[in-house]
Amino acid sequence: MRAKSGESALQSDERGFRPLLRKGHRFARDAADRPILMFEEVYKSYRAGAPVLRGMDLVIERGEFVYITGASGAGKSTLLRLLYRAETVDEGRILFMGRDIARLTDTSVPFLRRNIGTVFQQFKLVETWSVYENVAIALEVLGLPQRLIRSRVGEALERVGLAGRGECLARVLSGGEQQRVAIARAIVGEPALLLADEPTGNLDPQLALDILGLFEEINESGTTVLFATHDRSLLDVRTRRVIVLDEGKALDVPLGPPSEGELLELPH
Amino acid sequence: MNTAITRRATRGMRREWRLHVLAIFSLSVSFVCLAMALLVVTNIHALSERWQTTSQLTAYLKEGAPTDQVTELREALKKVAGVTSVEYVSSTEAHAEFSSKEAKAQDDARNELLALPVEAFPASLEIRLDADITRESLTGLVRQLGQFPVVLEVETYERWTERLAALVSKGVLASGFFSVIVLLSVLAIVGSTIRLVLHRRKNEVEVLRLIGATDSFVKGPFLLEGGAQGAFSAALAIVIVGAIYLLARTRLHETIAPFFGIDIAFLPWPAVILIVVFGGIMGTVAANLGLRKLVTV
Repeated sequence: MRAKSGESALQSDERGFRPLLRKGHRFARDAADRPILMFEEVYKSYRAGAPVLRGMDLVIERGEFVYITGASGAGKSTLLRLLYRAETVDEGRILFMGRDIARLTDTSVPFLRRNIGTVFQQFKLVETWSVYENVAIALEVLGLPQRLIRSRVGEALERVGLAGRGECLARVLSGGEQQRVAIARAIVGEPALLLADEPTGNLDPQLALDILGLFEEINESGTTVLFATHDRSLLDVRTRRVIVLDEGKALDVPLGPPSEGELLELPH
Repeated sequence: MNTAITRRATRGMRREWRLHVLAIFSLSVSFVCLAMALLVVTNIHALSERWQTTSQLTAYLKEGAPTDQVTELREALKKVAGVTSVEYVSSTEAHAEFSSKEAKAQDDARNELLALPVEAFPASLEIRLDADITRESLTGLVRQLGQFPVVLEVETYERWTERLAALVSKGVLASGFFSVIVLLSVLAIVGSTIRLVLHRRKNEVEVLRLIGATDSFVKGPFLLEGGAQGAFSAALAIVIVGAIYLLARTRLHETIAPFFGIDIAFLPWPAVILIVVFGGIMGTVAANLGLRKLVTV
């Protein structure tokens, strides 16, 4: 079960997920019944004549754990960047809980990002800050009271196995620990969606499996996880839905990673 | 104010203290120029005010003016509307008054002045006027006095007041000029400091963007740091000018004050507060301009 808090600032309640919205914006009740993500004919290119995504269609339901895989340059990172609006689509729509991400104003983007946790290969921590500060900042941007922040950060650090390490500077931690801090920061605000862009890329195989296990635990608590990786060994760990990005399209493999032979047979 | 923003600002300033101290010292030089100019203007203005409110005329008398004509003139003046008193000062009395004022002076030039003969100081009528006397009445009185054969010259002090007013306006102009210099310095120094700080904290900004921080949350600490730089620089400049004033005060009181009839004063508190607030606002504005190329993710 997702941890619930008595405070209303975060988004869980009996009816399910409620996104963090700007003041004056109302939450549409039927949004909870819609898929969490829908890509409709999405096109994206950085150079003319070389599109990364070519009319990609994809639906991701609430609570899913989905691997995004594909060769280098296939568009895994682009897909994730489109989701947290670091990029905008050239054509098509990406609906996050029914809302078109591309149509958000610049001032609304931070509110979108508060509903999406992000974890990267390079951790993206502030190395001169302590572990606690790195995690707490995700709640400070929401303007929560310090008392609540302290308890939520404590819970998050416990979830990622870093209880009692709050005072350590981020730069003195090992790579695996730094990634755990990044995960704690991503989940402390209880986002609806967790994006992981090659989160195990800098870790050794055993640590990579530990981190994958952590993402699975988070997913079990109800958070939708999109896990981008090109590491096939991770895909083989458990049968999960896999989205293979190939030639700018998403090839959906609902029951686990395809063998190389199956991949060749998939319709392009 | 958001505590997270203030905490990040103080943490940032602590971490980059050398950079901030250097910027504050550089900026304070400009603020010292501004504060000095304002100090001079304040005192010239006080002097001008003092002389403007001195409703007095001095009618210098010709050497050997007959006593009965002088007495007659004195009595006639007493009857003129707007004249409150008329006092006769003889050459001997004028010499004695000058000697008493300059008695403490040690330098050679003053000793030479003291050696002047009594005849060098003409007898005069010191005419005190109502404070609210009109310019027209004053001009008429001066014209009439000039027609008396015993009167050598009439001193209205108006020339001095005009000169002082001109000095005040020049001082205000100089202060305006220094304000522009300060403004440009603040923009250049705070702007580049904040850009440097921003470059060093690029990663922090990127993280904040990723977790959904609003523009004001991201910019807040940098604006606070810029504002603090400006305010601290202005405050430091005030302290420097204050120290100079304290050191020079005794000497100024001995030399300039008796000559002009006013005490050399320091900047009034409202001006001090205004300079510091001006510094803070300018620092914030400069920081904001420096943040135009804020990292976007």
